Amino acid sequence: MANGFLIALVIGLPWLGALIVWRTGDTRPERQHRLAAGFSLAAALAALLLLTAPGDSPALTLALGGLFGDFTFIPDGLGVLLAAIATVVGSLAVIFSMDYMRGEAALGRYYALVLFFIGAMAGLVLSGSLLAMFFFWEITALCSYALISFNNDDPKAVAGGIKALLITSLGGVGLLIGALVAYAYTGSYQIADLLAGTEAIPPDVLSLIAFGFLLAAAAKSAQFPFHSWLPGAMEAPTPISALIHAATMVNAGVYLLARFYPAFAEVPGWTTAVVAVGLISALMAAAMALVAQDLKRALAYSTISQLGYMVYAVGVGGVFASQFHLLSHAVFKALLFLGAGAVIHAVGTRDMRQMGGLGRRMPFVRNAFVIGALALAGIPVLNGFWSKELVLEAGLAGGPGWAFAGMLVGAGLTALYTFRMVWLVFYGEPRAALHAHDATPAMRFSLGALAIGALLTWLLAGPLGHLFEATLPHHELHVLSTGELVAEIIGAPGTWLALAVVAAGLALWWWRERFRWLAAMLEPLGRAAEQDFGFEWLNARIAGATIGSAEALRTTQTGLLSWNVAGIVGGLIVVLAVLLLAWGA
Amino acid sequence: MSASALHILVLGTLALIGVGLYGLLAVRNLIKVIVALQIMVKGALLALVMAGAAAGQPNLGQSLAATVIVADTVVAVVGLALAVQVRRHVGTLDVRALSSLKK
Repeated sequence: MANGFLIALVIGLPWLGALIVWRTGDTRPERQHRLAAGFSLAAALAALLLLTAPGDSPALTLALGGLFGDFTFIPDGLGVLLAAIATVVGSLAVIFSMDYMRGEAALGRYYALVLFFIGAMAGLVLSGSLLAMFFFWEITALCSYALISFNNDDPKAVAGGIKALLITSLGGVGLLIGALVAYAYTGSYQIADLLAGTEAIPPDVLSLIAFGFLLAAAAKSAQFPFHSWLPGAMEAPTPISALIHAATMVNAGVYLLARFYPAFAEVPGWTTAVVAVGLISALMAAAMALVAQDLKRALAYSTISQLGYMVYAVGVGGVFASQFHLLSHAVFKALLFLGAGAVIHAVGTRDMRQMGGLGRRMPFVRNAFVIGALALAGIPVLNGFWSKELVLEAGLAGGPGWAFAGMLVGAGLTALYTFRMVWLVFYGEPRAALHAHDATPAMRFSLGALAIGALLTWLLAGPLGHLFEATLPHHELHVLSTGELVAEIIGAPGTWLALAVVAAGLALWWWRERFRWLAAMLEPLGRAAEQDFGFEWLNARIAGATIGSAEALRTTQTGLLSWNVAGIVGGLIVVLAVLLLAWGA
Repeated sequence: MSASALHILVLGTLALIGVGLYGLLAVRNLIKVIVALQIMVKGALLALVMAGAAAGQPNLGQSLAATVIVADTVVAVVGLALAVQVRRHVGTLDVRALSSLKK
């Protein structure tokens, strides 16, 4: 089948490119740049072609047989949309890297890992088998770890990478347990069999699978209470932050929830838990973005907050709204990160307190960044406005009122921290004598493409809705054309309420001198937000307890052969006893 | 196969495995450890042949046993080669001296 071949290209081209770039060797950097860009663009082209040939049945099957079952790949709406995002944003990030990473050592390692990641991300969203999905899920986590720690002589980068790996692997355990339990009850790893066969699974087992997947999604998408790895991941080179930690990998959790929503919607407490996770993440991260001093960390908190919106949207049943916001967010947040990368590349610092007044010296970057910021804040006609309104509308229609009120407050906070960020970096008086130059051609190409995307991707709402409706048989979707959607959003009272809140956020920033009393009142909250609301402390305690108990348990490792044999035999006796007891019962 | 023959075989298996296990737990000389391991594997071999005969598939049990003999020989050869190296580098064949990686 033609689209099966395309799927093989979308996953295979970046992986082949990874091998070739790596084998090219670091002595020929120009060829490495060009090869990486070529392979990522070819994969993006294949993914865009795949968008025109969707289907709801496996287009590519690798029969592994036995316990592994078939590794199937299904080009349905959810899959092709996310594969297109991964490869297109991936190729733009690679093109941006051609200038950003110029002169870096170990380019081969960098590009090989980026391309390996792009292929794995496409595989993750296209695979129709839970086990294949789990493998791709872990490959993306490993690539993310290796790229966060890319500057491996910097202890902060190494620590950030290990933290990200530990937390996302913990989530991966949830996914694996869910997949294995689903296999035990349905006899198949196929996602379609799980979505169709929920009646055959006892309710408490189904809720185990559902909450296992929620754990996996929260850890991968940096949601409460696992959000603390994402700010640490900002030690990665900035194109990596744009690609992996804003536009693609962190969306995998939201994708997982959206994919399995039809199976888990009836599990008692699950949707409430999803809504609560999204709400807490959105509000808490917005507060932290408001006090962050590091430009990339502020963007990371904003990513957690926006991912919270998507998780919330799934929780209230707005699967399409969540994926539409995911598309908008991938475009405008990649734009913001790459813009931040251009700024950091030019001035050599990430501290916003030292920036200021950069807009006059780098007008192109400023214009691109402002477009992304307006989309993030939810200002009309940019893509972020439409998708955020769609999320809020879904929340008003299908979710609890308290959550909707919280998300409205979050929209105001988003506008507030976005304008603070733009102002601190590009406007006002320069606060330090920084050397700055505007973006170079490859950077301009990526920034320009993403800025046009931020202005236009909302026009895809109608076609995407129909694509989802045609290829996702288990999801009940309420599909409208782009025109109807626009009319509905403009006519909805929630939109005007949200716009008023956004305007209030803007006003709060504009007249910030007059609201000094409010800032003074919220001082303790701000300090708590600077301390990460105690989660860093909690993480340090957990790590300390783990290391301490490991030290204590070391005494059982005598290194003596006879003790080890005794341990093996003892373990065997326990297993036999359990089996005998279970057999007798 | 008669019931008494089966009993004898089960007892033989248990005895071989028991002697081997006792050797693994109690003996400190690396060469003797390898001998004990061999005795244990011979018990397992006997069990395979016995199970094949008892299940009415003697060919299967015996061919599995032949495979195990090949693998087991390799284990013995590699184990003895390691023992030679241990004696050269550590100066003793006492397995307690091998825990020096700990610390």
